[in-house]
Order: sequence, then structure tokens, then C-alpha cells
Amino acid sequence: MVNLKTYLKTLSQDIFSKLTLDEELSLFVHSEESQFIRFSQAKVRQNTTVHQHEVVVTYQKDQRKIKFTLNLCLDQSIDTASILKELQICRAQLPLTDIYPQYVAMENHGVSESIKKVERPDDLAMLKTITESFSGTDMAGLYCSGPVRQVSINSKGQFHYFENDFFFLDYSIYNGPKAAKGFFSCEKWNEKDLRENIGRTRDKLNLLDQPTVNVPKGKYRVYLEPMALFEIVGMMSWGSLSYSALRQGRSPFQKLQQNEVSLSPQLNLIENLGLGYVPAFNSIGEVADKELELIKNGKLMNLLTSTATAKEYGVSSNKAEPREGLRSPEIKPGTLAQADILKKLDTGLYLSNLHYINWSDVQSARMTGMTRYACFWVEKGQIKGPIQDLRFDDSMFNLLGSHLIDLTTHQELFVESATYQKRYLGAYKLPGALIENFNFTL
Amino acid sequence: MQTQIENLFKSLKNEADFVAFKTVTEKTRDLSVRNGKPDDISTSIDSGLTIEMMKDGHIGYGATCEITEAGIKRAFAQAKAMTEASSRIPVHRFDLSVRPKSNGSYTSRRQKALDQISISEIYDFLKQTSSKLKVNEKIISAVSDAMVIETEQNYLSSTGSSFEQNFNIVVSSFSATAQDNGESQTRSFHGGRGNCQQIGAEYFDVSRALHECEILSREAIELLTAENCPSDTRDLILSPDQMLLQIHESIGHPLELDRILGDERNFAGWSFVQQSDFGKLKYGSDMMNVVFDPTVPNEMASYKFDEVGNPAEKKYLIKDGVLLAALGSLESQARTQISGVANSRSSSWNRAPIDRMANINLEGGDLTLDQMISKVENGIIMFANRSWSIDDYRRKFQFGCEYAKEFKNGKLGQTFKNPNYRGVTVPFWNSLAGLTNQPETYGSPYCGKGEPSQIIRVGHSSPYALFKNIEVFGG
Repeated sequence: MVNLKTYLKTLSQDIFSKLTLDEELSLFVHSEESQFIRFSQAKVRQNTTVHQHEVVVTYQKDQRKIKFTLNLCLDQSIDTASILKELQICRAQLPLTDIYPQYVAMENHGVSESIKKVERPDDLAMLKTITESFSGTDMAGLYCSGPVRQVSINSKGQFHYFENDFFFLDYSIYNGPKAAKGFFSCEKWNEKDLRENIGRTRDKLNLLDQPTVNVPKGKYRVYLEPMALFEIVGMMSWGSLSYSALRQGRSPFQKLQQNEVSLSPQLNLIENLGLGYVPAFNSIGEVADKELELIKNGKLMNLLTSTATAKEYGVSSNKAEPREGLRSPEIKPGTLAQADILKKLDTGLYLSNLHYINWSDVQSARMTGMTRYACFWVEKGQIKGPIQDLRFDDSMFNLLGSHLIDLTTHQELFVESATYQKRYLGAYKLPGALIENFNFTL
Repeated sequence: MQTQIENLFKSLKNEADFVAFKTVTEKTRDLSVRNGKPDDISTSIDSGLTIEMMKDGHIGYGATCEITEAGIKRAFAQAKAMTEASSRIPVHRFDLSVRPKSNGSYTSRRQKALDQISISEIYDFLKQTSSKLKVNEKIISAVSDAMVIETEQNYLSSTGSSFEQNFNIVVSSFSATAQDNGESQTRSFHGGRGNCQQIGAEYFDVSRALHECEILSREAIELLTAENCPSDTRDLILSPDQMLLQIHESIGHPLELDRILGDERNFAGWSFVQQSDFGKLKYGSDMMNVVFDPTVPNEMASYKFDEVGNPAEKKYLIKDGVLLAALGSLESQARTQISGVANSRSSSWNRAPIDRMANINLEGGDLTLDQMISKVENGIIMFANRSWSIDDYRRKFQFGCEYAKEFKNGKLGQTFKNPNYRGVTVPFWNSLAGLTNQPETYGSPYCGKGEPSQIIRVGHSSPYALFKNIEVFGG
């Protein structure tokens, strides 16, 4: 493949040279060369190699804005002609639209370059390693690897380039209907680390051999592993921490913002771009502070506010992405030592994973969802056996508020593994959580 | 471009036991107007090539948007190397019967092609409807949006298939959020993105849309002072714009044969349905008849062939309440010998086809809505989906709606906000006690599944449906 950075410099200069003085143009490029291998029964179900290069072009003039998205074929003459053709269409359409209430004039937000690569064997060797490592195991999952690049360029001179060549193995292993979940990614490849990761997941699967305990619906003391807490924190990207969602009546955190409720003093949530798994710049090229306090000691400190939202409502921007979702959240650790988890749980539910959470009442931040994979009933600090999956329905104001007993001293880092239409960038760094009176309804 | 691709296909088609090229070009105009002002005006042209190849019975894929000779050859070579390596450890070895020879073409039924409507005409439609939604100052967000989609697919295979499919799709929504005294409530046109279909520019009938917008706004304001839905067990009528979700989550997904086989276990989940259940399981009451039908004109997921060339046909999945057939593609059928359908589908050129829903429809009964309401002493009717959650085996679900009304002794009563209900799939469908006689057709552009993940379009038609003794509750 061509050197994308060099290619885009030439392409963008060529396009920008065709603009008139009162026109502004930006290019936001997502490019990936991905290898996906889907496993079932520890064998290959489907392998897919994807070469995908998308550019979102924003055209602005007279406080009006139109966007278009194209795929680049990486032939300079073809891509230039395609973009200029669409630009001409925009020029004709723009006067027929109205002034944007969120209009933000383009600025030069600087020049930067960040390139990371996890050194590892090639994909053919990784395929061999993975299949050998899971030999004799009923494994299902996805191996995903290759570089993802994001580039933000505009006609004011801005050029930010980010590249991360990484991989992950998102998997689960089975004993009949019983399953345990694993996830492996690393900064420095070591086959021994992979085998240890698989070993820990196998140990958890073995615990499921005990007879299933029937747990009726009701309220229980619960320990959430970091991967289970990940599902709850993920819900905060569904409007909770978005300033525009608050102003448009869609925020589950409206009562928190109005100080009608508070979360636990133990809860400290930051947007931590310093984790290094997302570009330091957003899609319009703004570079935010590396850390932004969102919740401090249970109090809402900041909402994610894009510059467009700030313009519309006359508030300050913290250079969030236009969608105002979390990019790289971290919940700070608590005081619960890993060795004490079962002892402090005492009697209740040990939940490794949650599944399919949705708001059941946005106004009160109430969520419903399911337990999934290796979840256990614990009595007096001893695992008694796996449970049948349970449905919960409870408010985040309870779970992360007055019902939160403690957070663990250890945190786990999860690299973003979402692949809807394209590979996502991001990471979550989270502890486990001990919670009382967790409400299970079915 | 197509000629260049065909020439490359000819030069590469003997490089594996089977080779197919699928090209996709999809133009989407996506516009949104909030409070009468522009929120988003964008056009996307997504084009690329899927390369499919078989080696020793294993099927692998390459995909590229680098539509040049060098780009296609690079993608082909990488896909070939990985497919050959993977063919040593495949889940199953298929034969060429899973790639039938098919020829023909399909175009969505429409009166006026979508390329006949301009961005500014769509924008004006949305401005008018957004303004109509804002009936007074309590409406703090009045959003009208539309996705206007034109898709071209071309498929060529080394077994002689050559077919073309063209889809014209409109997904449109109007939603009004009312706020007062710290309370916010939203009403939308058939629940977010439920209003979607294969149709042409004739969709943009502003007088009909303005009427709908006025009703939605008044209902959003009405909800601000409504009581919460009571928490108890009673008879429940679900409107077609909630039934679309009920069908989707508790019939469609559990019947996907790749889920039953376990391919999806690590992501969306497994299924409570076993291979031995087909022909035996009493899924629902006797009045439950569910079809897979990609032949319905204008429904969201209609087509002539699935994406590997299997001709689309209507098929009963559930007849008189008994489970008969699975949502299984030719590949899943080969692995299980269970009767399936033409449902090998992908979201676009950059994802491999997997077992999917298309149009999954619940057939109507013999009641009018008034007759259905008169059958119930004390019940609730819920409209328009707003929340959904179901376990990874598709048993325990909880769904929420935007708007509900109580009815007693045949008469509609007070309005409730925050209506929710929960249940377990098979007992729930066996409590089905009545169906109206005029199904309505909706769908979703956003059905997520697969590793790597993909979003696909589905259609669902349903009548109003009455269920006995369901757990309902409010906020």
C-alpha cells in the first residue's frame, strides 16, 4: 500500500488549491488494513481481509455546512477527481440550505504525528498459534489485527496523523452450554502471556462444573468484575455525559446535573486520552487536555461538550467528539484488594460479565440487562456454583451511588474491540465493583 | 469500472476452487433538521468489492475499496493466502451446492426513482415537519430526519452466476421531546427508525407527514402529566410498531441457524432453540403464523437473491404455533440438514455474508382493534418501541414503549408514561390470544450481529396482538 501520510498530503494540497478564499474544507480519514478471523469450535469459520479507506469531507461557507463521504482507491487522479466532483455538487447545494446554529469556523489546530505498532508474528503465524493454543477446547471468537489510521486535515494548514497497528483476540470457551469469556491484547507480544490468559479462562470454566444454584429474583450483594463494569460504563456514552443530550432532554444524568441525586463519593471517572489508544485530536482536529474530570467523588464535574454544542448553547467546549461519547474512560481504583473480593462479597453474586444493557427509564437512569458467562453464587466467601442467567433492572444512581460499597485496587485495561462497519479506537481502564442491593427481576 | 472488474474477475476466477466478485455502490443522503434548523446534511458514497473464494471446501473473503488493478490483485493475494491457511482447519468443508448458479435482476418497486428528488427538496420536507413538531415551547427538541439510500449490487461467480440488485430505501423519523418541571418525554414516528421501507421519491408526501407530526407532539406533551404505567400483571395489546421489535428479538434472532450452531456465541449469543426442536416445538399459540418473506413489495428487506445467489422465496417458519424452519443459509443447511431460507446476507462489501433475517412477518387474524379491546376486561395497549434487552439465549426479555393507554370494558382510558413489560419467549408467545386483521409493515435499518460486526436492514409486518397475563410496569 502507498504511504498514506504522504499520499494524503499531496491529495489534500491538490484539493485545497481549488478552493476560493471564502471556502473552508476539512478531510477526516479513517483507514484500516484488517485481518479478521472468526473462530467456532476452535476452527476457522470465516476469514476476511479488509482494505478500507474512507474520507469525510466537510465543506463550509457563509456559516453553512455540507458533508460528503467517499472511499479512497489510493489512485491520486481518481480520488482527486471524485472529491472535486462531489465538491462541485456541494457548492450548488449549499446556498439552498440555512445557517447552522452550531457553525464553527475552521481553524488550524496544529500538526502532529503518532505511530504505534505492537510487534508480533504475522497473521498466518498467529492463526497457527491460536489454533494450537486452543486445541481440544470448544472456543468461539474473533482475532482482529492490522493498522488503523485516522487523519484530520483542513484547508487552514492542520494535519494530524495517528496510526496504531494492534491486535486483539476476543474469545469464549465452552463446556456444553457453560461458558467463560476471555480477551487478549498486549503492548508487547509474548506467547506465554496468551497461554496464561487462556489458562485463567479455563480455570473459570472449570468452576462452572459445580451444580447450578437456583437464585430467585430479588436484591443481592454483587461483585462485578471489571469486564462487567465495562458494560455499565459503556452506557454512559448513550447520552449520560453529553451536554447536547442534556439540553435536548435525552440525558439519563439530568437529575445528577441538577444535584437532585449524587453518586458514591468513591466514584472518580475521567476521560483519559493519555491511555494512548485514541488520537489526541478529535475528528475536527482539536487537541483536548489529556485528562478531563467527569465525575469526582460522586459529583458531576464536566459533561462532554463539543465545540459545536458549545457554540449552540453559549457554553465552553472541552473539545469532545461531536457525538459526545466516551473515548478513553478510566475509573480510578478503590480500596478492595483482589485477594479480599470473595471475603468482602461474603454472600451474593459474583458476576464476570453483563449483557445487552439498555435504559428502562431514562429519567431515573434505570437500566435493564442480563448476567452472562461465568457468574456464581457465593456463600460466606466460598463459590457454591454457577447460576442461571438473571435479568436486572436498577438505577445507575443506586449501583454507582449509595449501593456502591467499594472498588478494587486493581484495574484492567480493555482495548476497544467494536467492529461495526469499521474498527473502533479507544480503551477502558476499570476496576471491579462491590455493590449491595442489586435488583434482579427475572 | 464494472468492465475493469469483470476483466480482472476473468483473469482470477480459476485461482481457487470457486471465486466470486461482488461489487457494491451505495449512495446515502442523510439529512436531519432540529427545531427547524439544519443539524446534518451529508452524502455518503460507499463503494467496494468483496472477493469470495473456496479452497478445499473452506470459504474465505477479501474486501477492498481500492478499485484499481493493483488494489484488487493485492486484496486477492492476501485473501488467498489466509484462505489457504484457514482451509487446513475449517469448521466445515462445503461443496459448490452452497453457491448455486443464478442469473437475473431486481429493482425495488417505486413510482419515482430516488435520484429524482434533490437534497434541497428533502431538506424542505424536513424543515416543514420539524417546524410542525414544535407545537409550543414545551417541545424542546423537534427532530425530523431522513436517510435516502440507493444501492447497486453486482455479483459474478466462477460457477456462472451473474445478477444485479438495485434497492431504493427511505428511512425517516420525526420525534418530539417535551420537557416541563424536570420531566422529559419523547414521542416518535413508529419508534425511532421503525418507519423504513423500499420506496421511491413518492415517500415525501408532506401533508401526510405534517398530520403525523402534530399527533406526535401533542402526545409528547400529554405524557408530561401522565401517570406512570402501573406495575402488575394484566392483558397487554402491543401495536405493530412495538411488535416489530418483539418479532425481531424473540423470533428472528433465536431462529438464526448460525446462532443455533454456536458461531455467534462469543458476540450476540446462542439460542434456546435446539436443532431437534424443528417440527416439534410449540413456539406459540395456535394463531401464531410467522413467515420469512423477502418477496413482499416495498418491505425493507425484499430481494430476488440472497448474496450468494440463493433465490428468495416465502417460507413458513412457524405454522399454527409449531416451529417448522430455521433462518439458515445454504451453508448452515449443509451443516445441519435443517430446512432453511435464502438469508446469506452482509451489510456491505467489507463484511462476509452470515445467516440473517430479512422480512419476518406475523400474519394477521380476524379481529378489528375495537373488537380486540372489547375482549378484555382490564388491559393496557402500548405503542412504539423505545427500549429493548434480551438475554444471549433469547429467553428473558424486557421491552419498553413510548406511550400507553389503559382500557377497561371495551373503552380506552387514561394515558400512561414509561410503559414496560417483561417475559420469557416461549410462554409469552403461547399467551397470544388475538390478532387484528390488518398488519402494518415496519422494519429496522440497524440489526447488529457478527464478528466482525455488521448492521443490516430488516422488515417486520404485524397486526396488533393481544397477550394474556403479562407483567407490566412503569418508571
